[in-house]
Amino acid sequence: MTPRQARDLSPVAALVLGWILPGAGHAYGGRWGKAVLFFVLITGLLVTGMVLGGGTVILPQRLWFAAQLGAGGPAIALVPVAQYLSTLAPIDWADRLHEMGTLYSAVAGFLNLLVMMDAYIRLAYPHETGEEGA
Amino acid sequence: MWQAIVRVLEHLSSAENPLWFYYPLCAVVAVVYKATKFDDPKKIALAALHFFVTVSLGMLALAVVLTILSVWF
Repeated sequence: MTPRQARDLSPVAALVLGWILPGAGHAYGGRWGKAVLFFVLITGLLVTGMVLGGGTVILPQRLWFAAQLGAGGPAIALVPVAQYLSTLAPIDWADRLHEMGTLYSAVAGFLNLLVMMDAYIRLAYPHETGEEGA
Repeated sequence: MWQAIVRVLEHLSSAENPLWFYYPLCAVVAVVYKATKFDDPKKIALAALHFFVTVSLGMLALAVVLTILSVWF
């Protein structure tokens, strides 16, 4: 698969798209293989974290949300689900699986920040990443 | 001291140990991180495997060192 000409594309758009949907920044740059890989791994990690934590790990009132927000669209989409599930039963904050689920979702957010920066840098500095004219 | 280390290793290898959940997490981190560094899928796989093994063994070594320290002090 040949990446599109880097000079025709906006790095900022890649950054924003990568936040809205993990991997979308790479898809915008024509790197569909990596886009699918990043989407599956990051969204999978986020959803696995939700499942491990009983669906109540992505809550905006927790400081962890700042990290989870890095996963962008999927994390925001899961907030209403977590808020609804948190009203059904009291949350055991000390539960190890809940902690692990929180960690999974937070790491998903951090990884997406890394992926977003990679999508940005590949378009902003094509000389250094070997993207020019590729 | 050796008994304490053996106890730690037994605990780490038991099925109830929640630390097992760190391995898939570590694997995902390894693949995503190395996929941002390399383009060739074979290079990504090899580098991610190397990263995964290094981090896993590093954490195990750290657990052993902390066990030794906790026994001594």
